Amino acid sequence: MKAQSPIIIRFTVLLAIFVLLGGCGTSPAKEKAVLQGDNRDAVNFSGSWELDYSRSDSAQEKLDGIVRELNRDAQRRAQGNMRQGPGGGLLINATGSNTRSSILGVVRLADEITQSPLLEISQDPHKIRVEREEEFDLTCEFYPGELRQVETPFGTEICGWNGHQLVFKLLLPDGLSIQHVMTGGAAGQKLKIATTVVSSQVSFPFTLNRVFNRFEPGDDGYRCEVTLTRGRVCTTESR
Amino acid sequence: MYDRIPLITSYLRRFARAMYILACLLVVSPVYPAVGATDAGELSGTEAALDVGLLIFDPGIPADESTHSKLGIFPRIRNAEAKYMPVTLRGVLMNTGHWGAVRVLPEALESSELLVTGTILHSDGQRLALQIEARDASGALWLDKAYVGTTEPSDYPVRVPGDPFLDVYQQIASDLLFARRQKSPKEVAQVREIALLLYARGLAPEVFASYLARTPQDEIALVRLPAEGDPMIARVDRLRNQEYLFIDTVDEQYARLSEEMAPTYNLWRQYSAEQALYREEYEERVSSRGSQGRRGSFAALDQTYNAYKWSKIHVQDLDELALGFNNEVDPTVMEVSGTVFRLSGSLDAQYTEWRDILQRIFALETGLAPAS
Repeated sequence: MKAQSPIIIRFTVLLAIFVLLGGCGTSPAKEKAVLQGDNRDAVNFSGSWELDYSRSDSAQEKLDGIVRELNRDAQRRAQGNMRQGPGGGLLINATGSNTRSSILGVVRLADEITQSPLLEISQDPHKIRVEREEEFDLTCEFYPGELRQVETPFGTEICGWNGHQLVFKLLLPDGLSIQHVMTGGAAGQKLKIATTVVSSQVSFPFTLNRVFNRFEPGDDGYRCEVTLTRGRVCTTESR
Repeated sequence: MYDRIPLITSYLRRFARAMYILACLLVVSPVYPAVGATDAGELSGTEAALDVGLLIFDPGIPADESTHSKLGIFPRIRNAEAKYMPVTLRGVLMNTGHWGAVRVLPEALESSELLVTGTILHSDGQRLALQIEARDASGALWLDKAYVGTTEPSDYPVRVPGDPFLDVYQQIASDLLFARRQKSPKEVAQVREIALLLYARGLAPEVFASYLARTPQDEIALVRLPAEGDPMIARVDRLRNQEYLFIDTVDEQYARLSEEMAPTYNLWRQYSAEQALYREEYEERVSSRGSQGRRGSFAALDQTYNAYKWSKIHVQDLDELALGFNNEVDPTVMEVSGTVFRLSGSLDAQYTEWRDILQRIFALETGLAPAS
């Protein structure tokens, strides 16, 4: 009984995380009930942001933490098996997931998709665009009573406001889902993006927090814009 | 000496009469069609050709902004297309030689002999869908049809002058001509008369309203015609020509816009067609390839994520192209819109002034009180 208490606590925590994040494989309809299409409590994230490595999670450290947890769980399971017989333990589920390869896959993917050191965010009352280096832009449109959902042959994208947090969720094939939750802080000088990767092959979500600091890009003395016939055209006129 | 003067005068009169007849033959004869030159029932010559008004197209942008990106609509490009496409159609109609003046109108002109309106249902580099309606001055429906055209990779780059959807415009022109050929010369003449009387009715309703009546089919029928040589009608005609002068000036603005945006617009269509084609091929490629790694492994997850990532990047490239289009074409569109707006204001003022003058002339001539 004593041995099961931490597992129950962890189960409760995991359950809470699943509820908060919407869980793996949550249907879009359920998402709509949580996220809001309008931006009543919207925060303006506009501006230039640079990654603060010192305040951001290290994927390696988090992975080490998971490995330690799994080892502890394995030990407890082994002890439990000795006392209770086979069938104990919650982290290894019936489908045989949570293998070393699948956990490593989730961690590496989370790390890979959060590598952008610079963000450029433009936002108005109805839309936001988060430009990320080496990644596609995260975009969302906000309209009252309507949750933005884009379906493509490669996955479904849902975004909306959860109070003052902006949530981007990707539901991809093969039980993979990725969620970015943007939260502002420190009087608009900090931005936290919590990226959670959920795989059907891993029984718990993996989250990496990246913290960004606002910075003012220097005035280069020229202004550029994209044109169709001439490509990128720059002029020396100031902004 | 003096008795020879009447003789010389007589010669001169005969010579003048001969010259007049010759001049009449030279000037007037091209107006009449050569026998057998046209189908029976078909009209030809400038006297019979109907003038066409092409209203700026409805861009077909839903009011609900949240649907734009889902439908792949870039509003500013659509608004530019709504001005560009009627100019292209005008070119095709004029080239057929079967129509009188073909004008692109900023606003519907009730007295147009034939008014063509259009809505853009879909437009990208691969596919164009237009809903076209045409009604003559009587309100009779000539055409109400959806036109769809698709392009092939060989249609790009666009060879100027030309359009990758030229067949769509040619089909519209062909259908309009077919509809016109269903009308007898008398019916066409009536359309012209109704158009003029509609314009006249707008100026002096109390005088000209009785010439027209509304039929049970909600069309306008000619009740009677003004007397031949009616000076009021001659004045109305002059006034209408004045209005056409204004419209022709606006028309030139549209033609200039069309000419200036053509290179950028053609490039945009080419890029969007290439993007769409690439996307289709990419989807096919991705769906046909097997998984690179064991389910749940990094290789498998990365493959799934990258398929989405690259499809997303393609879409965003298209957004960027749209931005490039806007950056390049917007100033021209804005300039033209501003000019049109100013002209429209001026046109309205002139129109009101002319109407006042005409009504005062009418009051002086008839002794009736001028319309309020």
